[in-house]
Amino acid sequence: MLEFVFLLPIVMGGTAFFLPVSLGRGLLIVAALLHLQLTVMGWMGKLDPYFPDYFSSSPEGLLVLLVTSFIFLFISIYAISYMSETEMQSEHIFISCMLLFLGTMSMVTLADHPIVLWIAIEATTLVSAPLIFINRSKEALEATWKYVLICSVGIALALLGCFFITLAMDIKEIDAPLTFSSLNAVAGRLDPIWLKAGFIFIMIGFGTKMGLAPMHTWLPDAHSQAPSPASALLSGALLNCAFLGIYKVHVLMHVAGLGTYSSNILIGFGLVSMFVAGIFILNQPDYKRLLAYSSVENMGVIAIGVGIGGIALYGAILHLIHHSLIKSSLFLSAGNILLGFGSRLVKKTGNLARLFPKTFVAFFAGFAGVSGFPPFGIFISELLIIMGAFQRGRFVVLAGFIFCLTLVFAGAARIVMRISFANAGEDILVEERMLRVIPSYVLLLTSIGLFLWMPETIFQVIIDTIKVLGGRVNG
Amino acid sequence: MINLSDAILVLILLSVLISLESNRMMTLVKIMGLQGVMVSLVPLFLEQHQAIGTGGMIFFQIMILIKGLLIPGLLYFAVQRVAIKREVEPLIGYHASLFFGLIMILVSLFITEKLQLTLPGGHSLLLITAITTLGAGLFLMMSRTKAITQVIGYLMLENGIYLVGTALTKQSHTRYVVEFGVLLDVLVGVMIMGIILHNINRAFDDVDTALLGRLKD
Repeated sequence: MLEFVFLLPIVMGGTAFFLPVSLGRGLLIVAALLHLQLTVMGWMGKLDPYFPDYFSSSPEGLLVLLVTSFIFLFISIYAISYMSETEMQSEHIFISCMLLFLGTMSMVTLADHPIVLWIAIEATTLVSAPLIFINRSKEALEATWKYVLICSVGIALALLGCFFITLAMDIKEIDAPLTFSSLNAVAGRLDPIWLKAGFIFIMIGFGTKMGLAPMHTWLPDAHSQAPSPASALLSGALLNCAFLGIYKVHVLMHVAGLGTYSSNILIGFGLVSMFVAGIFILNQPDYKRLLAYSSVENMGVIAIGVGIGGIALYGAILHLIHHSLIKSSLFLSAGNILLGFGSRLVKKTGNLARLFPKTFVAFFAGFAGVSGFPPFGIFISELLIIMGAFQRGRFVVLAGFIFCLTLVFAGAARIVMRISFANAGEDILVEERMLRVIPSYVLLLTSIGLFLWMPETIFQVIIDTIKVLGGRVNG
Repeated sequence: MINLSDAILVLILLSVLISLESNRMMTLVKIMGLQGVMVSLVPLFLEQHQAIGTGGMIFFQIMILIKGLLIPGLLYFAVQRVAIKREVEPLIGYHASLFFGLIMILVSLFITEKLQLTLPGGHSLLLITAITTLGAGLFLMMSRTKAITQVIGYLMLENGIYLVGTALTKQSHTRYVVEFGVLLDVLVGVMIMGIILHNINRAFDDVDTALLGRLKD
């Protein structure tokens, strides 16, 4: 039964709420391991959906599910050490919401019915709100309020988009079940005007959740105020889930022969996101906000890659995987820095290289990775997107893309150098621990590993994902 | 014979206008309750949904209870416990808001006329009501300073979308399970917003959104 993949974390999350904290921590790890095992079984095709009207395992869904499950395992290991170090007040709520969050995100990846997908994405907002709120400071309150309200309103518009797509089917008197698979089968006969209107609303709605500018305003606040394991999960897993919603509708548009229309919208939003992120990164005083804006930028990269298509689409999918790995690792390192210096401000930090050598290696390597240096996977994914833009003759897009990448690198490099090498006092609050460094290392090493050697099964699933859109792997 | 569905739609339109003009929190909450009941009644009286099974009937009744009683009830408690000043405190005056509502009706009339080509017939008043409700919801969110009016605006927006959804699309696609899921999300959303509201009130001694300006670049 495929539904176990999301039912298991949801049930365990519900249980964790009532358990004592020490048991809850164990449960978090156990649930993460079991979830990974279920995900692998899903990949092997051993799980069949019990409600095929609502859920199915699509290649793109499986890909996002595997990434989510993998990073969740390491984030939960980190979270255990983090929780005991910070003496978190409502730890049972935190553990329970982490698991519910994992469950609802898995539900997004497996949903095949547009409105079930909507329900799951809205549910991710609701269960992750307590994670941001957990510190109960005034800033955290404000961030949570913005997060819940902006995302709920945005996603409400996506629901309108879903209804428009249903209407596109009803007007033409097509009697097919409302699932993405059957919609793709009848796509050519759908009403193009309502389909276009539906795509716009879904793009704005799920784009809000994915953090595309100019709807990204909740993202830096939420990512900077949430405790670091939650930020890592928000950035590494949640944004992909929202992207999945847009991607599925983009596929529908492509099959219906409206691919150019949706591609151009994707590229437009992507460029704006990259540019806005670049501007705000330049003089960013807060390093967690810096990472958050970097997520906005990377979501823009993915949107552009998908919009260009061809080999760039392959690049975009690779980018999604590697961004999740590297960015969650960076947020975990940022958590160590925050614990050590007790401040989110760049000017209160410094000399990371000497004070926290292990965190420094992870943080600096992560920065190199996210900026696109080899041997990290983002190097190859961005290169493929650039090549794809050349092939399709999208030179204006290409110029904007490269300009924004440079802008982000220039802004981020200065801040990272300052955190790493500037002079600072000797007093540190919390020492770094192996348990809080190893997860970052593993995530980064996975990115290097996938750069050097991509397992055949993963490669095949990526091919299956991009096949529908006419994506290619070779030239 | 009076056309019942049209009468209900007119009531919804009136409730939107009253909510734009009302200056008391409590009035606003009561109107939301009325609007919730009316919105959930619309699909019952539309001609295309004549045959409704047992499951559907129970679903509709639960929905009326949630939209008409539970959510306004939650809001009622929130206003009682949270709002120290009971005035709505608009950024844009009541008369201007009312005027906006009237213009919104005209705009939705215009949009509906434009779309008439591709829409199944007989739904023009429904679409006008839906778009007006949607637009007025967004307007309420932007033009009032209290955080709680933003929640009410969000609910109104959701009502508008629900009208588009259940009324324009065939019931066979969006089965009750799915609609119930949507409703559940909205309900939990309002509860979470209520909890945050309570905390905002405790931390800042007010629920004015102007106080929420600490995080910026």
